[in-house]
Amino acid sequence: MSAPIELHGVTKTFGALRALDPITLDVEAGEIVTLLGPSGCGKTTVLRLIAGLESPTAGSILVDGGTPDAARHAKRIGFVPQSPALLPWRTVEANARLLLDINRAASPTQPSASVDELLAEVGLDEFRDAYPHELSGGMQQRVGLVRAFALDAPILLMDEPFAALDELTRTDMRHLLGRLCEPLGTTIVYVTHSIAEAAFLSDRVAVMSSRPGRVAEAVTIPLGHPRAPELEDSEEFFHVETTLRAALRAGSDR
Amino acid sequence: MRFLRSIAAPMIGLVAFGLAWEAVVRIFDIRRFVLLAPTAIVAEFLDAPSFYLENMLVTARHMVLGLTTSLAVAILVGAVMASSRFVEEAVQPVLILILVTPWVAYITSVVVWLGFGEQPILFMVAFTSFPVFAFGVVGGMKSADPAARELLASVSANRREVFWRLRLPAALPSIFTTARFALGLGLAAAYFAEGRALEITGLGAIGQRAALDQTTGAEVLWTTIVCAAVLGIAGLAAISVAERLLLRWHSSQRG
Repeated sequence: MSAPIELHGVTKTFGALRALDPITLDVEAGEIVTLLGPSGCGKTTVLRLIAGLESPTAGSILVDGGTPDAARHAKRIGFVPQSPALLPWRTVEANARLLLDINRAASPTQPSASVDELLAEVGLDEFRDAYPHELSGGMQQRVGLVRAFALDAPILLMDEPFAALDELTRTDMRHLLGRLCEPLGTTIVYVTHSIAEAAFLSDRVAVMSSRPGRVAEAVTIPLGHPRAPELEDSEEFFHVETTLRAALRAGSDR
Repeated sequence: MRFLRSIAAPMIGLVAFGLAWEAVVRIFDIRRFVLLAPTAIVAEFLDAPSFYLENMLVTARHMVLGLTTSLAVAILVGAVMASSRFVEEAVQPVLILILVTPWVAYITSVVVWLGFGEQPILFMVAFTSFPVFAFGVVGGMKSADPAARELLASVSANRREVFWRLRLPAALPSIFTTARFALGLGLAAAYFAEGRALEITGLGAIGQRAALDQTTGAEVLWTTIVCAAVLGIAGLAAISVAERLLLRWHSSQRG
């Protein structure tokens, strides 16, 4: 069986701008792979290519055994955008249900967790009837996570979901996401420029460098599962962070 | 306290305006046809309340039918404009043309084309308000969060879903804002067209007939003017109530 996500020699140019050098990357089933790199290195472009929101200039992409578009039509991809993108006229619960309400024919008949359960899991059960403007930034992005997880898709794509949050909230959200990801065995591609997020969440980190974007180094994270927040105080975690930081620096010097 | 003020302040403003109006008419002994005193207008209205109310109802009907038709077409056209850059740029000059061309200039031709009766009136109300609504719809729909659009695309939402779930709700705030301008345009068009279409009923019909008779028409003319203003205020109030109910989520309705 092939891996759920396979990129082979994928490039992307926007007009005269070469955004991506050929990228080859396989993500195994149940694996969490992070694309780590500075702003403008094309990591979001890679994610959008996998999601079928953008077509590659060259190379091939397989998602769930087919094209990204086919995966999109079959709702096999849960997408978490950078801004929470909540609809202000929908309540928290209705926002969390949004992706289930769209393209219903492809919705899961028996999702492994209901929207209610997921809202409770992220501590929002008392805010089900609240509107987005009544929530803090962290709470809004938690709704964004529930919205993606509620799809019960085998693949989750997350585009710097916590980039706009303050440091303390970010840390909480990182731990919350770790907890949500733990039992599912979902294949996840996570985009970030935060070394701590990459180290805490991933099985493997593709360190990218910019202009044009390319994968400078793939780092396997030698940390076991489940991962508790205390892990971040350990020496091995510190070692992982140092390795990633060195890889980032090496990538940008080249 | 705030509630009381929100009622009392506009009342005091209106009463003060009425008193000043009355005083000006009396002090300068203004001809009744030029400006009729508010007390005389109220007296005229109370003399035949059902007559004026019936005619107000006719004009209200013209306004509501014309404006809703206009809005419905504007939503259709606006949705296409918002989803295609080419269509938007092609339709925009036509809308501007409709907006800037003085409708009083071609109304006679419209009456000749559609014949006397309700049709030219409804057409004029709808036609004059159409560009305003269309610009409001396009602007509102284009303001829909691009991230939300991508999110819907990530689960392969079809055009209908994008329209109902995202574009139309996103356009509501600007539709409500433009509806206030459209109402003013529509009311003026209804009043004027009623006279030109030689209708028997409607504020514009009786008002413009009265205007031809400068010796005895002042009472009827000025009472239809005030009735039309009241109709406009009632329309604006209805828009505000609908806005309150439908846009509870929007920042304009908070605080």
